[in-house]
Amino acid sequence: MARTREEVLKILEDWGRKILEQIEKGQEPVLEIPSRTLSNTVWDPVRKILVLGPEKMRRRFLDLKESRKFMQTMLMLKLIVEAIREGVYPTIRDLYYNGKHTIVYKDPRGKVFKENTWDDQQESNSVIEDIEVATGLLREEMGISADVKGKVVGPIIVRSKGFEIDATKLGDAALSLPPNPDELEIVKVEANYVLVIEKDAIFQRLNREGFWKDENCLLVTAKGMPDRATRRFIRRLSEEFKLPVYVLTDADPYGWYIYSVYRSGSIKLSYESERLATPDAKFVGVTASDIIEYKISDEYVIAATDRDIKRAHELLRYPWFQSDAWKREISLFLKMKKKVEIEALSTHGLKFLHDYLKDKIHRKKWIE
Amino acid sequence: MRGLEVKYEELSPAEWFRRNKELAGLTNPTRALYQTIREFVENSLDATESYGILPTVKIKIEYVDKSKGWVSVYVEDNGIGIPDHEIPNVFGKVFYSSKYRIRQHRGVFGLGAKMVILYAQSTTNKPIFVRSAPIGSDKIYEYVLMINTLKNEPIILERREYPNKYGWHGTAVKVVIEGDWGKAKRRIEEYLRRTYMIAPYAEIYFKAPDLTLYFPRATTKLPPPPKEGLPHPKSVDVELIKHLIARDPNLTLKEFLIEYFDGVGKQTAEAFLKWAKLDENKKVGELTEDEITYLTTKMREFDGWRRPRADWLSPVGEELLVEGIKKVLEPEFVAAVTRKPSSYGGHPFIVEAAIAWGGKIPPSEKPIIYRFANKVPLLYDEGSDVVRKVVEEIDWSIYKVKFPAPLAVIVHVCSTKIPYVSAGKEAIADVVEIEEEIMLAIRECARKLRMYITKKEKEEEIYVKYATFNMYATEVAHALAFVTRKPEEEIRKKLRELIVKKLGVDFEAKLQEEQTAKTEQAQAQTQAASSKPETAQVAAKK
Repeated sequence: MARTREEVLKILEDWGRKILEQIEKGQEPVLEIPSRTLSNTVWDPVRKILVLGPEKMRRRFLDLKESRKFMQTMLMLKLIVEAIREGVYPTIRDLYYNGKHTIVYKDPRGKVFKENTWDDQQESNSVIEDIEVATGLLREEMGISADVKGKVVGPIIVRSKGFEIDATKLGDAALSLPPNPDELEIVKVEANYVLVIEKDAIFQRLNREGFWKDENCLLVTAKGMPDRATRRFIRRLSEEFKLPVYVLTDADPYGWYIYSVYRSGSIKLSYESERLATPDAKFVGVTASDIIEYKISDEYVIAATDRDIKRAHELLRYPWFQSDAWKREISLFLKMKKKVEIEALSTHGLKFLHDYLKDKIHRKKWIE
Repeated sequence: MRGLEVKYEELSPAEWFRRNKELAGLTNPTRALYQTIREFVENSLDATESYGILPTVKIKIEYVDKSKGWVSVYVEDNGIGIPDHEIPNVFGKVFYSSKYRIRQHRGVFGLGAKMVILYAQSTTNKPIFVRSAPIGSDKIYEYVLMINTLKNEPIILERREYPNKYGWHGTAVKVVIEGDWGKAKRRIEEYLRRTYMIAPYAEIYFKAPDLTLYFPRATTKLPPPPKEGLPHPKSVDVELIKHLIARDPNLTLKEFLIEYFDGVGKQTAEAFLKWAKLDENKKVGELTEDEITYLTTKMREFDGWRRPRADWLSPVGEELLVEGIKKVLEPEFVAAVTRKPSSYGGHPFIVEAAIAWGGKIPPSEKPIIYRFANKVPLLYDEGSDVVRKVVEEIDWSIYKVKFPAPLAVIVHVCSTKIPYVSAGKEAIADVVEIEEEIMLAIRECARKLRMYITKKEKEEEIYVKYATFNMYATEVAHALAFVTRKPEEEIRKKLRELIVKKLGVDFEAKLQEEQTAKTEQAQAQTQAASSKPETAQVAAKK
């Protein structure tokens, strides 16, 4: 880690002091925060990642639309400073609960106003991200962790707090990733490649069926939309150990967007892409053309919903989906209006999934 | 009306009215009791306010024989009273009236009271008790009377007189009728409430078997009494012409017009007679039935008359209307307007309207309507009233009113002749001129309401901001104090200053000022009250 806890604390306190100075000078306090919106997400075609643009929003305290967010940002700043001063490592959920309370305000007319500081975790998570971009500090540096969904199995040995763990000796179980994978020491990797799987059920099947032994590869899943820790872990495998990374998702716009998050980063966390994205990750499937190519039978094929169609049109507009292969696949999807799940690859028997993956990976039938 | 005239000649007027009691609204014991209260109270108010006297009216209803459904109704006022010799005729002779002059009255020639006496006679056969003393009289007179319906003559059962030791003046009457107090109760209460609304200068005591009400005099201002005048030539009917001819048959047509009608001089009379091709020197007593009808028709058609005057009208006035509405409805906002006089068919009229909003007015899907005609509240038959029609034609959203809304519309029409829909006199008919004036009056008030609502909305918007910012400020101050280790109170104070500066209003200071002003006002009132023993007494009675 680049910065010590003391340095992190100082940056946060200085930020607070700057806000207080505005108030003391009799100025309306305003927070300058780089905006985390699609319009401020810039595609860097050279590095193949999404980065944060130059747009900044000004969050004013005396603006009825912004005031609540301003209050939440200050509350979160206090909670984080408090955690660092006390030397504890809360999760984002802990911070949500710590900060959640009802503000009671009796107005001059005697009417009592009651309002929760925040109503759901999305609100508190969002201000944590605001503080990250405003101060240039990462959540991990501030000692804040999130629920980690990611797990790995296969020929890798890691060391955590002095204990070595061999991920080949876990039977049908798998190794859960820690909140901050940077603190994990990777002792040895003897794998040929990494296969990232969208769905936990498929991950478990491939683990039990010994796919990783067969192929001498690592299997990783983040159970849907990947969290930061899982993405960081994959990035390290790619960057530090030069392992090829392949991604397997459902054949629908949501699955394809998940691939793009592993590869390029997300719109919401584009400021983190430099640390989290794996620009060399390849998409092995399932593609729209696979439905025809691998003769997936009709009982596995699902009609696309209006939301799927809308999402597909959005993907077509994203600069990071502009390769010929992707444009072809998404257009085909829009033409067929059909989607399938990974499970559809059992169309020709349960073992077919293995054959499909080997075919895709060894014959380089991937897209990116 | 033709048919009625025929009967009129065959029966005595008293007998005729006895047979047609439903015309006066005396259809059943419930309606009859309500109507009895109305007639007597309206006579009382006419006998006071029309002569510049602040009305005090005392009403008492008692059971006389519960098994038969008999109740007694007693109404007393502090009006001008009736001279001793006039009392039997005033109460015992139908159509008794000394002059044919017009002015705004609640009732018409006191017919209603006689109807009540006839109703009493036909249900309980009990006489009416009357006590009266004119202003300055050294005696008080008491009569017990009945009406001889066949001869249209009073029957004097008893007569007494007492020395008037305390200089009392006014009239008190008591009748025993068949009446259903239980069912009439809510109507009567509403009637009194509304009467008080339009006449807040009146003091009303009311006592009934299970209801006691007291309406204190809210103001000592009286609307100026109406003047008495002659009818406008355009407003005549055959009946009136005949009565006037009978008074002096020797007048020539020209003299007749100048003598008995308003705004008719020598020139106008000549112009009219020439236009109507009538001989100005013809004696009115010599006119045939057909000629009388012709004269009447022509008088109504002629366009050369002067405009009718409104001097005979007595509108309540914006100030008193607002006062009465505030007292009864306790709204947050009220706007009233008295329109300029106008006329229809030779009858002058004035429309007054008010809109009350918020406060204790219950929100409802339609505006609540309060109708008055010559200061008499109209309670029945709202559906066929022109006011309801106008109110429903208005698109209230233009005036920022969103239903359900706490909205009341008050309309008072005063005229020498109110165009009622039916003989029941509970709804004003759809006369174009009146409808237009009502529309204009309501719209004028509604515009003021819109201005008020707009102002309030803006204030509310700023207030919501004020409260919201201050609510968050506590949290922000707490957080920043923790992060920077500076005193929380100071940060809170600074933030409050910023909020006040930004919004340009300090609600805390403003409310404090208002509070102080209210307390001072209350103190001033208490002091004023204690220095006036009269007021203190009223308060004690309450």
